[in-house]
Amino acid sequence: MLSRKPKAITFLVYLVIPILLYVFVVFFPLLTSLFYSLFEWKGGPNKTFIGSANYTQLIHDSVFWSAFRNNLYLVFLCLIGQVGIAFIFVMIINTRYIKLKGMHRTFGFFPSTIAAVSIGFIWTMIYDSRRGLLNWFLEKIGRADLQQVWLNNSKLVMTLVSIPLIWQYIGYYMIIMLSATAAIDTEILESADLDGANAFQTAVHVVLPMIKSTIMVCIVLCVSGNMKAFDNIYVMTKGGPGNASMVMAMYGYKISFEQQNMGYGSAISVGIFVLGIAVIGAMQLLQRAVSKEEVI
Amino acid sequence: MISHKYGRSTGKRVADGILGVILNLIMLIFSLSCIFPLFWMGYSSLKIKREFNADIINLPTHPTLDNYRRILTNPDYHIGASILNSVRTTAISVFFIVLFGFVIGYFLARYKFKGHRALWIMLLMGMLIPVHSLLVPIYIVFKQTNLSNHWYTLIMPYVAFGLPIAVFLVQGFVKTVPTALEEAASIDGCSFTRSLFNVIMPICRPVMVTVAILQTFSCWNEFSFALVLIRDTALQTVPLAMTQFTGQFSSDYPKIMAAMLITMAPIVILYFIFSKQIIKGMVAGAVKG
Repeated sequence: MLSRKPKAITFLVYLVIPILLYVFVVFFPLLTSLFYSLFEWKGGPNKTFIGSANYTQLIHDSVFWSAFRNNLYLVFLCLIGQVGIAFIFVMIINTRYIKLKGMHRTFGFFPSTIAAVSIGFIWTMIYDSRRGLLNWFLEKIGRADLQQVWLNNSKLVMTLVSIPLIWQYIGYYMIIMLSATAAIDTEILESADLDGANAFQTAVHVVLPMIKSTIMVCIVLCVSGNMKAFDNIYVMTKGGPGNASMVMAMYGYKISFEQQNMGYGSAISVGIFVLGIAVIGAMQLLQRAVSKEEVI
Repeated sequence: MISHKYGRSTGKRVADGILGVILNLIMLIFSLSCIFPLFWMGYSSLKIKREFNADIINLPTHPTLDNYRRILTNPDYHIGASILNSVRTTAISVFFIVLFGFVIGYFLARYKFKGHRALWIMLLMGMLIPVHSLLVPIYIVFKQTNLSNHWYTLIMPYVAFGLPIAVFLVQGFVKTVPTALEEAASIDGCSFTRSLFNVIMPICRPVMVTVAILQTFSCWNEFSFALVLIRDTALQTVPLAMTQFTGQFSSDYPKIMAAMLITMAPIVILYFIFSKQIIKGMVAGAVKG
């Protein structure tokens, strides 16, 4: 803290514009959505007050809850895929065998800088039934019998839309964890090696505990990042076939903009807010618990 | 005994070699898969539709720039305009995020003032709020205040969403800077504003670069808010324009690829020139944020 403090007016001049903007964009809309969620409103000039009817509908809306389950399923896959595979890659890169480490970093990180929309298109082209790389590959290895219209398979579609996200962010988490392992003293790893620990034991018993807090950061980032999956699903399936790949944000968008049901759309937004905060908040608590343990 | 030991170590060396090859192969496959789409789209965009449909993986036999010519000369696609819109929106947003983030972060780090805690909590909440719960509400508010569908529309949410992380990064950085410089400047009669911009700002350059890198990518790639706030095709940003022309070109994949490469070009070039700094900045932002 500084000894000399500028006048109150200085604070006001500097802070008023950004704070007003921030409140107007983030908090004001939240309040208005609470308000509009109490109305039957199709976006036109007329709206009727219906109390909590939208929320009763939301609680019984099976599509909304299956969308929430899809969100959780996607997050779960991405946790295993992004953070899990990234950790394995980090362990591989840190062995003495690996050449071209710089290239793996630069190339691996690249997809995470590309718009999710572009990633969605690229993978739509990969999954395409007639001109897609996946069916082409199956034909080349003689398994043409496995070919199908991939994104129309309602059982597989959630997994199929998660794969691009996983592929996109492996490199991102890999780099974050690499920067953490770089701080580990090589003598520790060498002595583990001398003591006869194999690679798996070293990974689990030596490296994992040492980068625990970084992994927690990755997990929190991964959960909050994938709770907001929308762009690539919008591009690839728009939530279809049926509602098989519907996530909460996609559902809110469909209700509000394709059915023009702004009242119920507002209630869904409140639902996304509550469920999102619950999931992300739980992760934050978990992270705090883990990092506290480390301090002691 | 000796020969036995020798034999085992040769065997071990062979196993070691095989392991090395396998591990390198795994990493190579992963790395190459990350840039393969770029190459595939690159050479496929030089094919015409018929050639691509006949064989999706072969190199073009008669490479042609026709796809690019047709996209760039057809004003209906708005490709040039969308790139311009994205550049303008991103540049202005990043400028304000860095400026506001610097000012607020500095105030929070250096002074206790009325509302200090409230401001801190507000920003913290902004990082927790699931951004898509704001999609419909922001649309409604912007529509009613007549702020949607202008060239400046997207700048407001982008600045607001980028602000919390920028503030936290700057705040954390300023805390590590000794106060002696500012004290000296103020004793020398330097005004607050001059000390802020001429003394502190240059010191904070590294963290401001980090913020700028992080936000350039997130603003350039942002899609969902552009989708609901922009109706006019002339005002579309790049991701929005892309969803438009994939509809128009439907099954003409080489043409879609050409269009995607044009719109991705700025960010790809930027990445491969500055990849070291970009990776460093993104990691710093992720870990400290």
